[in-house]
Amino acid sequence: MDEISAIVSDTARRLLRGLAEAAGTWEDMPESAWTAGWQAIEDSGLLLALLPDEDGGLGLPLSEGLGLVRIAGSHHGPWPVVDTMLARRFAAENGQDVAAGPAAGGPSEMAPHQRDIAALARACQMAGALEAVLEMTTAYVGERHQFGRPLARFQAIQHSLAVLAGEVAAACAAADFACQRIAAEGHDPILAIGIARARIGEAVSRGTAIAHQLHGAIGYAREHRLHRYTTAMWRWRDEFGTQAWWTRRVGMAVIAEGSDGFWSSTVAA
Amino acid sequence: MKTLEFPAPPPRAGDEDLRREVRNFLESRLEGRSPLQRAESWNGFDRQFSRELGQRGWLGMTWPRKYGGHERTAFERYVVMEETLAAGAPVAAHWIADRQSGPTILRYGTEAQKEAILPKIAAGECTFCIGMSEPDAGSDLAATRTRAEPQSDGSWRVNGTKLWTTYAHEAHYMILFCRTSGSPADRHKGTSQMLVDMRATPGVTVSPVLDLMGQHHFNEVHFEDAILPAGSLLGTEGEGWAQVMGELAFERSGPERFLSSIQLLIELIGALQGAGGEGGRNAIGRLFAHLVTLRHMSRGVAALLERGDDASVHAAIVKDLGATFEQELPDIARSLIDEEPDLASTSHFASVLAYTTMAAPAFSLRGGTREILRGIIARQLGVR
Repeated sequence: MDEISAIVSDTARRLLRGLAEAAGTWEDMPESAWTAGWQAIEDSGLLLALLPDEDGGLGLPLSEGLGLVRIAGSHHGPWPVVDTMLARRFAAENGQDVAAGPAAGGPSEMAPHQRDIAALARACQMAGALEAVLEMTTAYVGERHQFGRPLARFQAIQHSLAVLAGEVAAACAAADFACQRIAAEGHDPILAIGIARARIGEAVSRGTAIAHQLHGAIGYAREHRLHRYTTAMWRWRDEFGTQAWWTRRVGMAVIAEGSDGFWSSTVAA
Repeated sequence: MKTLEFPAPPPRAGDEDLRREVRNFLESRLEGRSPLQRAESWNGFDRQFSRELGQRGWLGMTWPRKYGGHERTAFERYVVMEETLAAGAPVAAHWIADRQSGPTILRYGTEAQKEAILPKIAAGECTFCIGMSEPDAGSDLAATRTRAEPQSDGSWRVNGTKLWTTYAHEAHYMILFCRTSGSPADRHKGTSQMLVDMRATPGVTVSPVLDLMGQHHFNEVHFEDAILPAGSLLGTEGEGWAQVMGELAFERSGPERFLSSIQLLIELIGALQGAGGEGGRNAIGRLFAHLVTLRHMSRGVAALLERGDDASVHAAIVKDLGATFEQELPDIARSLIDEEPDLASTSHFASVLAYTTMAAPAFSLRGGTREILRGIIARQLGVR
């Protein structure tokens, strides 16, 4: 990542973090605050991150645009940031006018290659959301006291947290892998996206279960922001192709290569 | 707190010619080796095979030429490691020496030690064993009791017992982790590493400890007033703990930490040809996604080690996830294919399933138990 990209990332992170923290319980948010938040996101240019240069985009390579999608996953708020980024990219690709305003209900009428990019965007959002969940959970077990000591002092809690961290690291690595592969020659980008969706979907299942367990009852309350991430990930993991569909698709490709081709497929993936 | 980033390895490291060369060699050299033999993974022992790898320049690959090395990159070395493992080559005669003993000597050894030993490892002529565990010091390595007492002539007198020492009965050398001062109550302080010539040290007795399959890989190594000559100390006296922790990063992140069950996966895919249905596709897709992600992470650790960065926590994550993946395979295979596991079967699936099922418990013990690894990860998160 060069210096310009680092500045773009930092700016996006600061903006979205501030907005997500100020959003409070989304249901109680005044409409004026929602509109002001959306305007700030629009003004930042972030919504054009997946748009090619010639269509008025930021001119970022797709892999870097997806890095911003991951940041949006980490600082998930009540605005359809990623869906609007996708809708604007696809509108431009389809030769349509890039509509202003939020994309309601996400992009529709996608060509197969657009569906693949949308699926990869979900993978990146989930990786970012899992990072946020790890951070939140680590902080919580340090603050919460039971039996006269922080939860973090119990070995059972430490090991659960270590498993969560391993799943988050794997999810981030799988997202990085797929973003790297769509930019590289000589690999099958669809296979790489399927790998990311299969691995990250599983990390979501294990990771959200641990995060809820370690947060206890408060994490199940509407007022706590944990469920903003976990319920979102439970949707995302099955959007633009369910996890099971993507997993079978990978399996089919691998089985077709047979025993003899298995190792070559692994290295070439 | 920040998520552990695994740096992206280069997508293609300019290593495709090397990969082709290694594959061609292995294909002809391992012709006739049965799937059951291949399933032994890095436990398979063949001195002649190690020598042939050495002759081709595929051992000590990253080391300086003056010590017999070839000054190639960590990624080129990774290609050779993963290709030999995926092919089920018998690598045990050189594996430990090339992976961790050699790098430790290169980093901490005296000029004399480097000149005497590294060229032999690179030639595939030198087998190492690791003297860490003891009867009362398993995961709790700092409880080590084996002691080396300095003598007035500069030599060391060693007493104690090491256990679970893989291939001690074939090894030329051991790197011994022991106490050189203080008592076990001093924990990490007062420990050192020593080079032990396993063939020429009176007072060293190696006795076999058979595993649950009746195979002989483990040993007990007993030291009774064994005298190590002056110049046997490896690195700095009293710095043994720090040296060992660095060594473990080499031991924990390589492709051998997720490829141990690969032969079973290969047999399973064969058995699923034209059968298996949705369940088989789903299972293979999931396993493949794990495998490719683990490989990406493991190559990321190679990138960290190449830069000289501390990779101990990354390595712990790769090993924890890798062992879990390897251990899941037998049950997944059993759930998909109706065949009784049988070591003596002529069905490759049945024999490899039987072997891998029995080998699997060790995957999350050797090189640091799952519990130790999770403790290391938790410490990185700041909760320990």
